[in-house]
Amino acid sequence: MAKPIVKIKDLSVGYNGPLVSGFNLEIKPGEIVAIVGTSGLGKTTLLRTIAGLIPKLSGRIIGNVRRRGGIGYIPQRLGLVRHASVYHNVELGARCGVKINDESGNILNWSKRKSVLIHETVKLVGLTEKINEPIRRLSGGQQRRVATARTIAQSPELILADEFLSELDKENADSIIRLMRDYVKNNNSAMLLVEHHLDRANQIADRIVDLGEFEVNSGEEE
Amino acid sequence: MTTKINKVSVIAFSLVILAFIILNNLVRGDWGDLTGGFSNLIKFWNTELWPPEWGLIFEAQSEPPKCNVNIEFFCSKAYTGMLETLKMAFVATILGFIGAISLSSFAAKNLVPKSVLVPTRLLLSFTRCLPSIIWAIVFVIIVGIGPLAGVLAMTLYTIGYLGKFQYEEIEGINREPLEAARAMGLRHSEIVTKVVIPESGNTFLSQILFMFEYNVRHGTVLGLVGAGGIGLHIDRAMELDLYNHVMTYLIVIFIVIVIIDFLSLFIRSFVTDESELGESSIFTVLLPASLAQKLHKSKKS
Repeated sequence: MAKPIVKIKDLSVGYNGPLVSGFNLEIKPGEIVAIVGTSGLGKTTLLRTIAGLIPKLSGRIIGNVRRRGGIGYIPQRLGLVRHASVYHNVELGARCGVKINDESGNILNWSKRKSVLIHETVKLVGLTEKINEPIRRLSGGQQRRVATARTIAQSPELILADEFLSELDKENADSIIRLMRDYVKNNNSAMLLVEHHLDRANQIADRIVDLGEFEVNSGEEE
Repeated sequence: MTTKINKVSVIAFSLVILAFIILNNLVRGDWGDLTGGFSNLIKFWNTELWPPEWGLIFEAQSEPPKCNVNIEFFCSKAYTGMLETLKMAFVATILGFIGAISLSSFAAKNLVPKSVLVPTRLLLSFTRCLPSIIWAIVFVIIVGIGPLAGVLAMTLYTIGYLGKFQYEEIEGINREPLEAARAMGLRHSEIVTKVVIPESGNTFLSQILFMFEYNVRHGTVLGLVGAGGIGLHIDRAMELDLYNHVMTYLIVIFIVIVIIDFLSLFIRSFVTDESELGESSIFTVLLPASLAQKLHKSKKS
C-alpha cells in the first residue's frame, strides 16, 4: 500500500486558543480532498498550519514531501507578486522544480530546467502570449491560471489551495479543475483544498471532509 | 461633519498657540532678537554676500589638482567640488541601499522571528542615531581628511535611515505572496529578491532618489569637517571670511538640488502604479499627480 503523502493526527490549530481540535486526516498519492464548512470554522487556519506558516497547538503532521518545493500553497487571493510578470511568478515555482532530463537523457542544468519548466507550464495554462504581462493587467481567471502554473512548475507532492476557485465563472473553473486533477493524478501527488461551495468541492475532490464534524470552537479566524 | 471640522480646527488652533507659547519661552520673552536680526541680515547681504564671486564657477582654479580640460568651467572650484560631492553621494547611496536592503530584510517582522529582528533593529538605530556629520568626524579620524571619510559617513547613515524606511515598507506588503513563497520552501534571499523587491520596487526607487538628494545636500555640509566635496571649499571660504565665495557655492548647490529634484520627479513618474503609461512628459512632472494623470488619459483616449 502506498505511503500517504500527508498524515495528520489529533491536530489542534488556532491563534490564542484552539479553533479546531482533534483533526485527523490521511491523504494518499493521487487523492484530492476538499475541506468544507461554514465561514469562521478555521478552514484557512488549518490549511496555513499544514503549510507550516503558523505553529500548531498540538498533534502531529507527518508529510512525505520534499523540503524545498514539496508543498504548493495557493492562498485565497492567490499570493502572486502583482508588480511582476507572469514569467517572474511562475519562475518562483520553477526554482524549486524537480530535476528533468533532455531528449538524450541528460539532466538539464538549473537555469535550463527553470526555463523549460516555466515555458511548459505557462503553455499548459494557455498564457504563452501573456508571459511578459504584469499580473495586475490580467483578469481574475488569468491570475488563477498563473497561480496554477506556478504550483505545477514546482512539482509539489502536496498542493494546498484555499478557495482559489471562488469568484470564477464555470468555464474558467472547469478548466483549472481539469488542470489540477490531471497534475495530481499523473504525478501521484495529493491535493487538499478548502472550498466554500459544496457542488464545486464535489466536482474537484475524491473525498470531502466536513470540518463541522470535528471539535470546532466557534470564533473568528484571523 | 461640521462638528468634526470644528474639532479639527480647535485642535489645530490650540497647537499653533502652544507652539507660540513654547517659542516665547525659548526666546525668554525677548522678541527684539528677531526684529533686530532682520536688518542685520540685509546689511550682511549687501556688504558681504552679494555680488557672488562668479569666477569660482567660470574660471579655472589655480591650485592643484591640475585640470586637463580646455573649458575653464570644468576646471573651476565650484564644478570640481560639486562633482566630488555628487560622486560621494552617488557611491554612498548605492552602497547604503545595498546595506539597508540586506539589513532591513532581517528587521521586518513578517520575514524573520523576533530573535533576529530585535538585534538588527538595534543595529539600524545605532547607525541612525548619530547624524552623518558626527560619523564624518569619526571617519576623518580613522581614514583622514578627504572624500572617503564623507562616503563612509554617508553610507552608514544611509543604511540606518533607509533601513528603517525599508523594513516599515516590507511589513506593509501583502502577506500572501510571502506565505506562498515560504510554503514552497524558498530561501530568505530568494524571498527578498523575488518577492519583496518586486512588490516594493516603486517605493524603494523613490527612497533611493530621495536619499541621493539627501546625501548631496548633506555631502555639502560634511566638507565642513574635512570630508571632501564642495563643503571643503565652503569651509575654507568661511575661515577666510570670504562670504561672497560661500554665496557662490550655495547658489551652485541650490541649482544642483533643483535639477536632482526635477530628475527624480521625472524618473518616479514612470513607475507610479496608477499611471501604467510607460511614458512621461517633462512638463507634467511639475503638475500635481491627479492633473498629470488626467492629461495623460485624455492624450491616450
